[in-house]
Amino acid sequence: MSFSRRDFIKAAGLTVGAAALPVWAVDPRWLAQYARELNKDAIADAALATAKKLGASYADIRINRYRQENVSTRERQVLNASSGQNFGFGVRVLINGTWGFAASPIVTADEVVRVTTEAAAIAKANSAIQRKKIELVPTPKVTATWKSSFERDPFDVPADEKTAMLLRINEAALAIKGVSFVTSNLSAVNEQKYLATSDGSRIEQYIIRTNPSFSVTAVDRSSGDFQAVNSLRQAQQIGFEYMTKHDWAGEAKTAAEHAVMKLTAKPVVPGKYDLVLHPSHLFLTIHESVGHSTELDRALLWEANYAGTSFLTPDKTGKLQFGSKMVNFVADRTQPQGMATVGFDDEAVPGQKWDLVKDGVFVDWQTTRDTAKIVGRSKSYGCLHGDSWNSVPFPRMPNVSLQPAKENVSQDDLISGVDKGIMIFGRGSYSIDQQRYNFQFGGQTFWEIKGGKVVGMLKDVAYQSKTTDFWGALDGLGGPQTYELPGSPNDGKGEPGQSNSVSHGCPPARFRNINVLNTAAGGPSAGILEDSE
Amino acid sequence: MPLNEAEVKALTSKIISLVKADDATASVNSNKQSHLRFAANNVLTSGTTEGRNANVTVWIGGRRGSASTNDLDDASLKAMVERAETIARSAPVDREYMPTLGKQAYKPVNSYFKATENLSLTDRARQIGDVITQCEKNNVIGAGFHSARTQAGGSATKNGNFEYERSTGVGLSVTARTQDGQSSGYFLRSHNDIAKLDTKRIASESIRKCLEGRNARTIDPGIYTVILEPQAVVDILGGFMQGFNARNAEEGRSVFSLPGGKTRLGEKMFDDKVRIYSDPRHPELPGSQSAQGGIPSQRVVLVDNGIVETLTYNRFYAKLKGKEPTPGPVNMILESTGTTQTIDEMIRSTDRGILVGRFWYIRGTDARTASSTGLTRDGVWMIENGKIAYPVRNFRFNQSMTKLLGPGNVLAMSKPERVGAGEGGGGSLLPALKVKEFNFTSQSEAV
Repeated sequence: MSFSRRDFIKAAGLTVGAAALPVWAVDPRWLAQYARELNKDAIADAALATAKKLGASYADIRINRYRQENVSTRERQVLNASSGQNFGFGVRVLINGTWGFAASPIVTADEVVRVTTEAAAIAKANSAIQRKKIELVPTPKVTATWKSSFERDPFDVPADEKTAMLLRINEAALAIKGVSFVTSNLSAVNEQKYLATSDGSRIEQYIIRTNPSFSVTAVDRSSGDFQAVNSLRQAQQIGFEYMTKHDWAGEAKTAAEHAVMKLTAKPVVPGKYDLVLHPSHLFLTIHESVGHSTELDRALLWEANYAGTSFLTPDKTGKLQFGSKMVNFVADRTQPQGMATVGFDDEAVPGQKWDLVKDGVFVDWQTTRDTAKIVGRSKSYGCLHGDSWNSVPFPRMPNVSLQPAKENVSQDDLISGVDKGIMIFGRGSYSIDQQRYNFQFGGQTFWEIKGGKVVGMLKDVAYQSKTTDFWGALDGLGGPQTYELPGSPNDGKGEPGQSNSVSHGCPPARFRNINVLNTAAGGPSAGILEDSE
Repeated sequence: MPLNEAEVKALTSKIISLVKADDATASVNSNKQSHLRFAANNVLTSGTTEGRNANVTVWIGGRRGSASTNDLDDASLKAMVERAETIARSAPVDREYMPTLGKQAYKPVNSYFKATENLSLTDRARQIGDVITQCEKNNVIGAGFHSARTQAGGSATKNGNFEYERSTGVGLSVTARTQDGQSSGYFLRSHNDIAKLDTKRIASESIRKCLEGRNARTIDPGIYTVILEPQAVVDILGGFMQGFNARNAEEGRSVFSLPGGKTRLGEKMFDDKVRIYSDPRHPELPGSQSAQGGIPSQRVVLVDNGIVETLTYNRFYAKLKGKEPTPGPVNMILESTGTTQTIDEMIRSTDRGILVGRFWYIRGTDARTASSTGLTRDGVWMIENGKIAYPVRNFRFNQSMTKLLGPGNVLAMSKPERVGAGEGGGGSLLPALKVKEFNFTSQSEAV
């Protein structure tokens, strides 16, 4: 067994290739010894030539490096600070209309030929049982580099600066009387991605994502009750400047006050309420009910064994009333700071922006080159993604965002139109069926609205609804100034399971007459839906 | 190829030799995974990947830092150690630092099977081809996932401990759907030994459930007597059984907490039929030779006769509280303390109830009561007068797990069988459960 990448130079007889690479394509702290040796184009040529020789009608190779840094704390101590990197390549071949994939962390000429041969053997073995050949829509050949938008690379920030920032967050929370515990975490991810396809495309991308978070818990030891409030702000495709652009300590202090307040908050009485949902909460409802239901692979039953299918089907395109006429959802892989924003997807299709729901009507899907072909499209929207060099790329969600009102409607404007309602902040418990229709969502903090005003805090709140009923009940949207772009790094899907990073922009929005239940009641008093036919 | 013991020993020794810090633990892990995914009666993706990773955690004056890499050459390992030491030097003192373990005596667990590692591509294609053919013959649309994995790795400490372990796992899940999309069946089994994976049974059970689920009726949500098949039991209880944590309980933020910092240890929280335990060397469910913190694993009983017997302590918290660290759990087994019934016997003794095959998208809703929400999926049937009467459409539930297993609510259990772990992992050993009351809160049209 060889662990040396230097063998590649000897085997391939290649010359120095670093001059052709963007300056960010290697990490000097980890890779100084290889920076002059690694020629990804030559490695790719070896893979693609092997694939062609073995009968592939299409092939691609991704040579990717992933870096992660994570600091986690608890109260006044650091639990762990870690730094990691992971490098390797994966080859995908299409032979006889059947995919084969293989991957290895050993990036040498010999290994790339071996792995490509293995991918071809897998495709050939399985093509014997293939019923319908996989085909791809075309995409233009491209040579490009792309870098995500950020000001300060978190991997250039010393660990002690990150640690100090988290401990300040904890201190702000612990200063509030009644707070018992606080944890905080800061993780950063850097993806350095290289893609070469048999269509002739060569693409390098450099992506930074930053994900700070905290959780504050208040415990009433006399009653045995405990309540937690998590951070409302979410991950973004942004640099370390996120830590100073947002007042994290201030948010932690507020969260601490709310955690203590939750101990004595009024339990919600189950029933029908109008809801005003803050972007820190609504983004996850969008993710589950809109983001996943408009994935074409689900409608084609490709996820039937795991994530599920969709209540949407191709024959409903352009016809189904998804929500009220105010509802417009846009898919967008070009949006700055969007977690799923890219220059190109993992089969060289450029990042794009398109409508999914227009004026309340479902109009389009998320597609890849193979799913687009099945429904007769001529091009892909660029939604193919693998979460590592050793993961098979497959259809993943772009940023899917609810468009704000054109007018400057404020959150208070939305609240003022509610007689009996609840305002919800933050992502809580979330659950949705396998066709993305029946869902139940909780939150972090819940505020009772009476007569157009917030009158106090509630607890134990969750709402249940069905996707089209819920979006059909939307009758108010905040304006552009209220729009936020929360995101998540952990969207799970597929077999083997993979994680995707995705954002869902939205303003606060108002929904009429939604079923609310009490999650602490457990038994029948939790509330059974009146319209659960 | 996954690393052998000599390779892991050489690599971990190399890492430890590079460490200048006071204390350190180094681990090296490797894996090989192979999968075939099919859907719409067609092959979707299939691949084989190999991976390896090195990790080091160091302490300098009680300050901790960690780093990892998958470049295993000398220069990269040296860079990894230096990175961890740089992080440690700038970190505050780790108040929960525990000196790494000295030499331990591990009792090996047999969870590696060469036939699983050497899975044949053509054999797998033939088996999955047979599954697809079976679906076609029954006019249903099949989807599924066959996955095999080998893991091999180990760790070493600066204080002289070393361990190496390898395991294999293989699983197959199949979903069958009718052409009109109105019924769906699912079946999953996994094992360490590929010879014990009955792919024909998995396909036929999935197809049977799909065909028997046609023409499902809509019935009202509410509280029902429910029989949960083993798959449904692992779906709903898998997470709960990981939560017997002493620290959370004593800190007042767990279902096992009582006012004043007391816990429910020793309390009869569950039905007297309930026994929950972990056994690393159970022949049907081999676990791991080491538990948390690298201590040798042992049998751990969490609940017996309905009484909470153990809340788990990690090495730090055990020392703080003057306890022994808990040598588990490393797997999860639920069984009856008394007699068992088959699912057919449970049905025969049910005047009116519901049979559930699987749950989906389960999320906690209230930690104080260990409550969760989720939905049924891929097969629900009404039982009337001791017989399966007709299939019914899916439900959402909101249910406390302590009430589910609570005194008087568990009417019967079957013999446990191995279920779960869709990607060839360890799974659990769980019975079918018949419970007196289960809380369905709404209907779900989803299929």
